[in-house]
Amino acid sequence: MADMTYREALRRALDDELARDPDVFLMGEEIGRFEGSYKVTAGLWEKYGPVRVRETPISEEGFIGAGIGAAMMGLRPVVEIMTINFILVAMDQVINHAAKIRYMFGGTVGVPLVIRTPGGAGAQLTAQHSQSLEGWFAGCPGLKVVAPAFPADAYGMLKTAIRDNDPVLFVENLVMYNVTGPVPDDPDHTVPFGSAAVVREGTDLTIVAHSYTVQRALRVADILSRDGIEAEVVDLRSLRPLDAETVAESVRKTNRALIAEEGWSTYGVGAELAARIHRLCFDDLDAPVERVGGAEVPMPYSKPLELAALPLESKIEAAARGLLADSGITA
Amino acid sequence: MPRLSDTMEEGTIGRWLVKEGDSFSEGDVLAEIETDKATMEFQAYDAGTVLRILVGDGESAALGAPIAIVGEQGEQVDGAAPAAEPAAGEPADSEEAPARAQDASVREAAPPPPRPGSNGRATGAALRVSPIARRMADDAGIDLSGMAGRGSGPEGRIVKADVERLIAGGGAPAAGPDAPVRAQTAPQADEVRELTPMLKAVAARMAQSKATVPHFYVESEIDMTRALQLRAELNDGLAASGEKISVNDLIVRACAQALLEHPQAHRSYVDGRHVYHAHANVGIAVALDDGLIVPVVVAADTKTVREISAETRDLAARARDGKLKQREIEGGTFTVSNMGMFDVANFEAIINPPESAILAVGATAPRPVVSDGEIVVRHIMRVTLSCDHRACSGADGAKLLQTVKRLLQSPSLLLV
Repeated sequence: MADMTYREALRRALDDELARDPDVFLMGEEIGRFEGSYKVTAGLWEKYGPVRVRETPISEEGFIGAGIGAAMMGLRPVVEIMTINFILVAMDQVINHAAKIRYMFGGTVGVPLVIRTPGGAGAQLTAQHSQSLEGWFAGCPGLKVVAPAFPADAYGMLKTAIRDNDPVLFVENLVMYNVTGPVPDDPDHTVPFGSAAVVREGTDLTIVAHSYTVQRALRVADILSRDGIEAEVVDLRSLRPLDAETVAESVRKTNRALIAEEGWSTYGVGAELAARIHRLCFDDLDAPVERVGGAEVPMPYSKPLELAALPLESKIEAAARGLLADSGITA
Repeated sequence: MPRLSDTMEEGTIGRWLVKEGDSFSEGDVLAEIETDKATMEFQAYDAGTVLRILVGDGESAALGAPIAIVGEQGEQVDGAAPAAEPAAGEPADSEEAPARAQDASVREAAPPPPRPGSNGRATGAALRVSPIARRMADDAGIDLSGMAGRGSGPEGRIVKADVERLIAGGGAPAAGPDAPVRAQTAPQADEVRELTPMLKAVAARMAQSKATVPHFYVESEIDMTRALQLRAELNDGLAASGEKISVNDLIVRACAQALLEHPQAHRSYVDGRHVYHAHANVGIAVALDDGLIVPVVVAADTKTVREISAETRDLAARARDGKLKQREIEGGTFTVSNMGMFDVANFEAIINPPESAILAVGATAPRPVVSDGEIVVRHIMRVTLSCDHRACSGADGAKLLQTVKRLLQSPSLLLV
């Protein structure tokens, strides 16, 4: 185990896989000489050269398409999209091609493509550059969507993504790159998809989250703990495939579920999970499933307004207390 | 402390349903208050905000004593919680608040957001139960219907914590008229147990009555042979309907009629004055597994035997299930206490103030009596009338009892 940042964990996973498998290559804007907008690929261009770390024009549709073609022909491209907001110009490639090709070719051709991209907000990047759109992709059969919250999972899941034979959207988060945590030294450490993790045990309610919101949920759990309320925090890690059973198992224990996410709640990850929870453990619920998401507005530029729109700890805590109040518990 | 029963002198806050800083609308239930008779919902007379709670859960206060301070949202009371202020206690400043929240370590515990429907009135009409609470109650064999609208969740939804309390035997959140009383069991060693609010009320009322009401007693033997014949005829005739008239129904009817004939035996002594009653509201003492309760047949003088019978059966059943409403146990002007079913020959009852008399009824049994110089077997019932000597004289009581006797011995008079 060594402590490293989320960014370093990603870099190490890329480095490991580039070294392990000659079919792996990286593509993206400014990922070579400039080392990537968020420095995830720092040092890799020097180490592996411009063929395996390929710089592209600002043409997401073009280079995701190129990645799909390369993947169909047997390579394992890892495409970096600078932020998830820029993937929208390439939606046809992602949804109509990457996600559909295995099906439309009768299973004979797969697309072992990884698209790495950070979502999230909090740096005053305003409406067009602050979105959390992973829920849209997680609703599409044919794609896998993961959003790890810790450096160890970032490392292990990126390796799983690169080794997977189907397209994976690997969602990072802008404010998480500098988060530090222990990462196993084993170069073959991988984390399977479709497996949520209980990252904090508790008895009074379950807070479900993914990506950076998991870290907010943990801080809320600490705050609640001071009042004797023990929240269990479940990190989804993987949105598609979705491990609803681990969530349900937790809710069966706590009888209360709160889903927090940075994206908009309406039709969001929480909407899907609420439906699953009601189906899997209806008879275990003591209160309706509660959701907290980002304010349903385009993200404002103004710092106070941005903070007001984000699902900060204060909002998650208030929702948790409201949920507990529904159960007659006040603290 | 509001007057929620006509005899309460103090009340105990069973449970607050609002907390400091909460706003409420007119009609919202603010608290459950245990009176000497029952647990009552205390509804808001007006909209407002709870600024400070003065009498906490489980604490008592005299009638009229302040139990909470209410006012406008944000209004300051000495020592009161500033309403709608984040619990962090920092000065409200809408411009600064989001900036503070930037630091995740700053706790900005806003009060829980209003829950949809959480301000609705807990009318008790609908039985709302959370799924887990329902499952736990089913598993434990607990019937939650008596707790409808009284749970700790929104709109009185019964939640897990409520069922846990029930299972733990701590009693329902409001162990009032809704909670059937269980018979006590003998402990292994001597043990001190708290009285239920109802037993406390009985103890206080009876001690007060026996100590301050000058009782006198009038006894009589009533030949119930014809009344039993009438009852048998009535029940034959009513067999198809499933109704069944009891001897007690005839006694209640006889008392109601007699009371109207004897206003001097049907008046209450209250604060040096006599209160005369226009109608005979006859209370019927119902023994519970532990304690008793006296539901009232209102204006029994205006009701037929059949009506009295149906009403009494309903009241007694609900009394045993703990489902009487407060208004059904108040306003009595006279009580009938019948222990005939326990085969007692005779007993003397304590008056239930402010009523001025109570009729204690023993068992009806065949006995040899002298009739026209012959010894014959008749069905004799012994009764004792206890009277408040401040309300009536011995003669008034005797006349009342004489009329009751005449009516029951000529029972067709009860039907006209």
